[in-house]
Amino acid sequence: MEIIRNLARRKLRSTLTILGIVIGIFALTTMGAMAEHFNALLDGGVKYFGSNVQVGAPDGQAAILPLSKVDELKQVEGVDAVFPAYSFPAKPGDISAVSFGVPDTIASGDPAENRYSAFKTTLAQGRDLTETSRGEVVLGSTIANEFKKNVGDTIDLPVKPKNAKPDFVNHTFTVVGVLNPTRTAPDTFASISVADAQMLFKDTLPVALRGTVDTTQVAQAFTVYGKPGTSLAELDRIADRINEQVTGVNAIKPSTLVDAFKAGGATFTAITTAAAVLALVIGGLSVVNTMIMAVTERFREIGLKKAVGAHTGHVLREYLAEAVLIGFIGGAVGYGLGVVLTNLLNVAGRGSNLELFLITPSLTGIALGFAVALGALAGVIPAFRAARLDPVTALRTTN
Amino acid sequence: MASIELVELTKHYKQGKSVVRALDGVSLSIAAGEFVSIVGRSGSGKTTMLDLIGLLLKPTSGRVIIDGVDAGGLKDNQRADVRGQRIGFIFQEYNLLPSLNVLENVMLPLRYTKSRVKDGRGRALELLEAVGLTERLKHRPDELSGGQQQRVAIARALINRPAIILGDEPTGSVDTQTSHELIGLMRWLNREENVTFVIVTHDLDLASRADRMIGLSDGHVTSDQPVEHAA
Repeated sequence: MEIIRNLARRKLRSTLTILGIVIGIFALTTMGAMAEHFNALLDGGVKYFGSNVQVGAPDGQAAILPLSKVDELKQVEGVDAVFPAYSFPAKPGDISAVSFGVPDTIASGDPAENRYSAFKTTLAQGRDLTETSRGEVVLGSTIANEFKKNVGDTIDLPVKPKNAKPDFVNHTFTVVGVLNPTRTAPDTFASISVADAQMLFKDTLPVALRGTVDTTQVAQAFTVYGKPGTSLAELDRIADRINEQVTGVNAIKPSTLVDAFKAGGATFTAITTAAAVLALVIGGLSVVNTMIMAVTERFREIGLKKAVGAHTGHVLREYLAEAVLIGFIGGAVGYGLGVVLTNLLNVAGRGSNLELFLITPSLTGIALGFAVALGALAGVIPAFRAARLDPVTALRTTN
Repeated sequence: MASIELVELTKHYKQGKSVVRALDGVSLSIAAGEFVSIVGRSGSGKTTMLDLIGLLLKPTSGRVIIDGVDAGGLKDNQRADVRGQRIGFIFQEYNLLPSLNVLENVMLPLRYTKSRVKDGRGRALELLEAVGLTERLKHRPDELSGGQQQRVAIARALINRPAIILGDEPTGSVDTQTSHELIGLMRWLNREENVTFVIVTHDLDLASRADRMIGLSDGHVTSDQPVEHAA
């Protein structure tokens, strides 16, 4: 109680000091929330691409691979399942000025793939696609929210752009399921059956090719799985064997993709660290300054406390507690403001798939813990100075 | 038993290249329950003597025995414990904590000491009644007059039932009328609580109300005699 009154006695200075920490922790929270968002996005990529081998057309060739490759791929040692893969932009012609995530995408989805993939999706409502699904779609949470669709609604895919060409074609799909948020790619995915994907694939071909290519016999790529739980190193070896044994395809080592995602994650971690250092410098210096002034102004109080029996440890604890409280108040306010701002920006960006921030329990712990630690660290030197004061000198000080 | 015993007490300060002999071989004893005033000109060593008795300073040589405890071998925290449990302080500038109210200021020493007082709040209320401030419990120091602040400081000095109260010019910042009232209060508490009072003062009115007056000059005791009170 005395600590709070001491802070209240010097309202302007206390406010300015706390404001220093508020700014630091606010920066840490917003930058951290952005980093958490991207890390979640990248973690999903690491998890998904670390559990399969992506097989596409060789470099320089069109992404049209015969489905007969499925049987060839299954012959390769270690391969347990192969899924043909198709994906198309859900909003063709949509050019975002800035892209902070995976754009809306129509992707083929085989319900069986969820059994193999290390990255699992779950349904918020409705059901999954079936092997016989036609004209049905399962939407990710973001795309469902973007187009305000629920189970039972219909959606035309791809979405017709404003400047669509005369030969633009889209199809009506019934929403049968909506996924729970994953904070990564599936949130912006519209999953349709392989048969429907092959139909859309045909639509994307140049008119001249549409009559000559049987899209029920081709795929854009393949997703290859070993037995569930196959290690990354073994998947790399499977990729090598595919490149050696199957002609006309290019298997990418999953470790290459995983490393690329992790490198991206390291960049965002560096952003968070930079924000933390900024918080340390701004907030820490303001707490040190305030506490040194508080100690200087309260020499006589310290002298009196020592005269009436306070030990060095008592005084040390009191001043440290004051510094920690300053850190905590600044941290709580800065964190609170950060949460409010990031939520507002997420709500504002939801309509255009621009949710950029993710507040996680670990970020909350880091922000508040950091603020308290900052206060304690910055308070140590002034508190020691106070605790070691000679009572006679302190009592005779004139402020 | 003597409440305070000083044996060849010496305190020298270094001031540049010279040495100031603030107190030079003072020996005396003060009995329990005595009301003693220490008088002398500025620089005579009286405040240094009070600080040494209060264990706020360490002597250059000699011994200080407080309520039977030889302070010579005590470490800093042990000296703080002796101060908290056996000594109360009254200062000229009151030294009340501005962030605490009257009751909290009186109870402050209890925060730091293993008190012999069981019911601290009850004891504080009892003392505030004795000094006539029952109506001001929740007031902050800046809402009180100088005399009232000094009454709070007196109550604070007594909260732990100390054996000794040390006063450094306790009437130095109040008017004559208030000074007179404070002196009466201290004398009354001296009798009621049977506490030894040692007061450093320039106030001859206060000095003359003591049982004994010790005169200091240049760090030496120049006089030590009982005070004759008018009947």
